[in-house]
Amino acid sequence: MLYQCTEAHEAFRKKVRSFAEGEIKSLAFSLDQNDQFPDEIVKKMGELGLMGIPYPKEYGGAGLDAIYYAIAVEELSRVDGGVGVICSAHTSLGSYPIAAFGTDEQKKKYLTPLAKGEKLGAFGLTEPNAGSDAGGTETIAELDGDFYILNGGKVFITNAPKADTYVVFAVTTPGIGVKGISAFIVEKGWEGFSFGDPYDKMGIRSSSTAELIFNNVKVPKENLLGKEGQGFRIAMETLDGGRIGIASQALGIGQGAYEAALAYAKERVQFGKPIAFQQNLSFKLADMATQLRASRLMIYSAAELKSNHQPYSMEAAMAKLYASDCTHKIVDEALQIHGGSGFIKGIDVERFYRDAKITMIYEGTNEIMRLVIANHIIGRPPKKARAVVEKAEPITGIRKNQIFTGTPQEAVDQLVAALKKDGYDFSVGIPVDTPIVDAERVVSVGKGIGDKANMDVARKLAHAAGAALGSSRPVAETLKYVPLNRYVGMSGQKFRGNLYFALGISGANQHLRGIKDASTIVAINTNAGAPIFKNCDYGIVGDMHEIMPLLIKAFGEGEKKPAPAFKRKRRALPKKLAPVGVWVCMGCGHEYDPKYGDPENGVAPGTEFERIPDDWVCPECNKEKSHYIKVQFQKNRS
Amino acid sequence: MNNVRKVCDDLYWVGANDHRTALFENIFPIPRGVSYNSYVLLDEKTAVFDSVDWNYGNEYLHNVEETLAGRPLDYIIVNHMEPDHCASVGLMHQAHPEATIVSTEQAFQMMDQFQFDFGDAKKQVVNEFDTLSLGKHNLLFVYAPMVHWPEVMMTFDTTNGVLFSADAFGTFGALDGVLFNDEVNFERDWLPDARRYLTNIVGKYGPQVQAILAKAGTIDIKMLCPLHGPVWRSNLGWFIDKYDKWSKYEPEEKGVMIAYASMYGHTAYTAQVLASLLHERGVHNVAVYDVSNTHMSQLVSETFRLSHVVLASVTYNLGIYPIMHNYLMDLAALNVQNRTFALIENGTWAAKSGDLMEELLNTQCKTMDIMSDRVTVNSALNEGNRSDMEALADALAEDILGKKSK
Repeated sequence: MLYQCTEAHEAFRKKVRSFAEGEIKSLAFSLDQNDQFPDEIVKKMGELGLMGIPYPKEYGGAGLDAIYYAIAVEELSRVDGGVGVICSAHTSLGSYPIAAFGTDEQKKKYLTPLAKGEKLGAFGLTEPNAGSDAGGTETIAELDGDFYILNGGKVFITNAPKADTYVVFAVTTPGIGVKGISAFIVEKGWEGFSFGDPYDKMGIRSSSTAELIFNNVKVPKENLLGKEGQGFRIAMETLDGGRIGIASQALGIGQGAYEAALAYAKERVQFGKPIAFQQNLSFKLADMATQLRASRLMIYSAAELKSNHQPYSMEAAMAKLYASDCTHKIVDEALQIHGGSGFIKGIDVERFYRDAKITMIYEGTNEIMRLVIANHIIGRPPKKARAVVEKAEPITGIRKNQIFTGTPQEAVDQLVAALKKDGYDFSVGIPVDTPIVDAERVVSVGKGIGDKANMDVARKLAHAAGAALGSSRPVAETLKYVPLNRYVGMSGQKFRGNLYFALGISGANQHLRGIKDASTIVAINTNAGAPIFKNCDYGIVGDMHEIMPLLIKAFGEGEKKPAPAFKRKRRALPKKLAPVGVWVCMGCGHEYDPKYGDPENGVAPGTEFERIPDDWVCPECNKEKSHYIKVQFQKNRS
Repeated sequence: MNNVRKVCDDLYWVGANDHRTALFENIFPIPRGVSYNSYVLLDEKTAVFDSVDWNYGNEYLHNVEETLAGRPLDYIIVNHMEPDHCASVGLMHQAHPEATIVSTEQAFQMMDQFQFDFGDAKKQVVNEFDTLSLGKHNLLFVYAPMVHWPEVMMTFDTTNGVLFSADAFGTFGALDGVLFNDEVNFERDWLPDARRYLTNIVGKYGPQVQAILAKAGTIDIKMLCPLHGPVWRSNLGWFIDKYDKWSKYEPEEKGVMIAYASMYGHTAYTAQVLASLLHERGVHNVAVYDVSNTHMSQLVSETFRLSHVVLASVTYNLGIYPIMHNYLMDLAALNVQNRTFALIENGTWAAKSGDLMEELLNTQCKTMDIMSDRVTVNSALNEGNRSDMEALADALAEDILGKKSK
C-alpha cells in the first residue's frame, strides 16, 4: 500500500485551494478585524459543493468519502481557520446527526438543503453546566400533545445565529443522567427561539458563535431525532466524526503558518544569509514539517476508516489531539520565526496564532480526547452509581426568586409593595450619574432597551427609583448608549449597594459576578428562562418597555430628597433545605445519608436507602436494614 | 423507718436521692442532685421496676424489703440497663433469688457484658407488646430503642394507666421528699434541669423520641413514672409537648442567645453592646453566656430553648476559640437543627472565626440558617462597627418581634 491520496483527491485539493486563495485570502484579514461572517463565501462554497461532501447525492450531497471532506476543511483553514470551521461545524455537527439518525422525511426536509449549501446547520450541546460532562444538561423538553416544549439555553454554539437548522440536545426524562437526553431538529425563527449576542472571540473571528435561548419553543413531535433517550449516543457519534473536521482545521492552520514561516525564513536575511539557514530555525521548520505530515496521515487514516465503516472513534480522537497540540506549537514557532513582524496585525501568522488555540478546546477538549483514547485502550473504569451532585448555587448566591404575576400593573404593584416592605424609601434618591461603585441603588438596562431614544425612559426610571443608571456590557460597548465606566459586571463596575434593577438583562455570568454583593436584585425580562431570574430576589416576566413606565409612575417622578448616608441593607437568605432520604438506625442512631452512601460496604454514594440490598446491615451496630426508620425533617420552618 | 412514698394503689416509690455526685455520667454538673427512681408493685404477684445507683444499694434494699413486708419477690423488671438504674439489680437478685428477671434480649446480653452473675436465675425475655399479668395489674411491654440506649423498653400498666417510662420524662434534681410534679412549681424550678437533662442526654435521638411519642399516643397514659425526677400525674400534655418540641428540634421560645468567646474582654464587650441594642429594640428574651465559664450542657440546653443564637468568637490559632469550637461540635453531635445563627467574629490580624463557624454550621449541622448580617471586629469594637451592629440588632429584632423596628 502507498500512503498517499488518489489523484482524484489531489485534484479536489487543487480546486479547493484555488477557491480559498482566490476568494478568501484577500478578505481574511478584514473578516478577522471586523468580526465579520463571510455570507458570500459560504454561499459560493455551497455552489461549489463543499457543504455536503460526504452525504449521498440523493440528499443533495457530493457523495464523496471522508478524505475529501478532510481535505476541504484543511485547505479552507490553511487560508482562514474561521471559514474552515464554518464548513466543519455545518457538515460534521449540523448535518451528520440528521444524515445518520434522521428519518427519510427528516433527511428530505432538512439534510437536502443543508448538503446543497442552501441552508446552514449548527449543533447545540454545550451549556453553562454541561460541557465535557453532558450529564449536567439542563435544557429540558417536555412533551405536550403534538409538541415538545423546549426551555433552557446553549452556549458557545458555532454558526449561531447564522445557521438555519439546529440539532439541539435536551432532557426529556429528568433525573436519570445522560440516558434521559434526546435530540431535536429546531429551526431558526420559531417562536421563543432567540440568540445571545455573538461572542467577541480571540480567534476564528470570521466564524460566528452565539448562545441559543429557548423560551417555551414548540418543537413538533416529528422533529425528534432518533428515539427519546438516544440523544447522548447521537451526540457522541456526531462528535467522533466532528473530530476529523477539527483535526483537519488544526492541520490547515498549522500548514498555513508553516508555509508562511518557511517563506519568511527564506526571505529574511540576517548575518549575511537567510535566517532559514540558521540551524536552530531550520530545525524548527523540520519539526513543523514532520508534525504536519504525521498529523495528516493520522487524519486521513481516521477518515478512511470512517468511509469504510470501520470503528474510528479512537483514531479520530488521536488525530484531533495530535494535530491540534502540534498546531499549537507550530503557530507559536511560526510567529517566533517572524520576529517582531509576527506580532503585528495584518500578518497571517498573528491570526493563525490566535485561531489555533480553539482547536485544542472545542468538540471535546484535548483532555477529553485523552480520556476517550484511554477508555478505548484500558476500558472504562468500574461502574459506580453517580454521586448525588448538589445543585450549584446561582452565581449571586441563594436568593428569594419571588416572581410576580398577573397583569403588568398587578405585577408592578406587588413588586413595589415588596420593596417598600423591605424598607426601600422612594422619596429619596441619588443623582443618576453617581458612580456605580458609590451608588446605593442602580437601574441597569440590557440590549432589550432597543432604540437609543428609550434610554430617556431608563433615565427617568433611575431617577424615580432614586438610583444611578447603569447598563449591561453590550449597551456600553456595542451600542455605546452609556460611557464604558457605567456598565456593570465582573470586567466593568461592581455594584455593592442595596438595590439593583436588571431590565432586559438576561444575566450573563460576567454580569452576575458584578452584582453578587447586591442586597436585593430585581429582574425584568421577557424570557422566563433567563439566568437572571435564578439570581434575583424579585422578578417580573414581561416587556421592559411596558413595565418601565408603570414603575416610574409607582415610584414617583417628582424631586427626590437627598438620600441619607448609605446603610447596608440586610440580605434575607432563604431557609436551608433539609437533607433528603436520611434514615436512622434504631439500634445505635447511625444515620444513613444517600449523599454519602456506605462505600466501605459496597453501597455507592447516591444510593437511595430503599435500593440498598436487603442483606446490608448497619455499619456501626450490625442491626438489619429493617431496624432503620426514615427521618422526618421539619417542614415549613418559620 | 424508711424513705418510701406511695404512688397510687399498690405502687410505691423506693428509690434514692443523690447529692454527692458532682458530675452525672461524669460529665454533667448536677448542683441540685439527682434521684434514682425504682418502684415496687404489690399485687397477687410482686414486682420491682429497675433499681438504683450502686452507691445507694443499701438504702434501696431496705426500702424494698419494708415495702414487700416479708412477701417474696416474683419479678425484677429491667427497663433500662444503664448502670445508674441497673447497678443494684444484682444485689436485688441476691436478696431475692426466687424472682424472675424480666427484660429484653439485648438487655440480657448487656447484663452479661456488665458481668452480672445471675447463676441459674429465672429469666423471661420479652418481645415487644408481650403482656404479663400480676393479678389485678396487667403489664404491657413497649420497646423504646435508642431513647437513649438500644435495649430500652417501657412498661405500661394497662389496669391503672401508669407508664414506667425509663429515662424518658426524667430530669436532673433530687426529689428531697417530693414525689409528684404538682408538689413543685415545675416550670419555674425544674424545667431548666429537665431540659438540660433531655437535650444533652437524648438530644441526638429526636427521630427515636418521635417514634416513641407516636406509640404513646395510642395508649391512655394516666401517670408517668420516670427513672429520675418527679412522677407526673397531672398536666402530662404540657410536658409531652416539650418533648415533642425538643425531639423535633423546634425552638420553645423566640429569643436570642448570645454566646461569646472572649480572651481579654473585647468580644465580651461587643456581645454586651448587642444585648443592649436588642433590649432597646424591645427584644427582652435575651440570654448572654460566656462560653469559657458556662458549662457546655447549659449552652446546649439554651440552644434547644431559643430560636436565635449569636456566636461571638475571637480567632484563635487561625481557628475558632477552642471552647466555642467544642460547643459547636456538641451541637452537631446532638443533632440540633432549625436554629437561626448570626455571627460576630473578632481578630487582631486575621479575623477568620466567622467563616469557620459558618462552615462548621453548614457542613456539620443540618438546617441551621445563618443571617447575612455578620459583624467583623478588629480587636475592639469601634465606631465603624456601628452600622453593622445596628443592622444585626435590627435584623434580629425583626425576626423575633415579627415586624420592622426603627
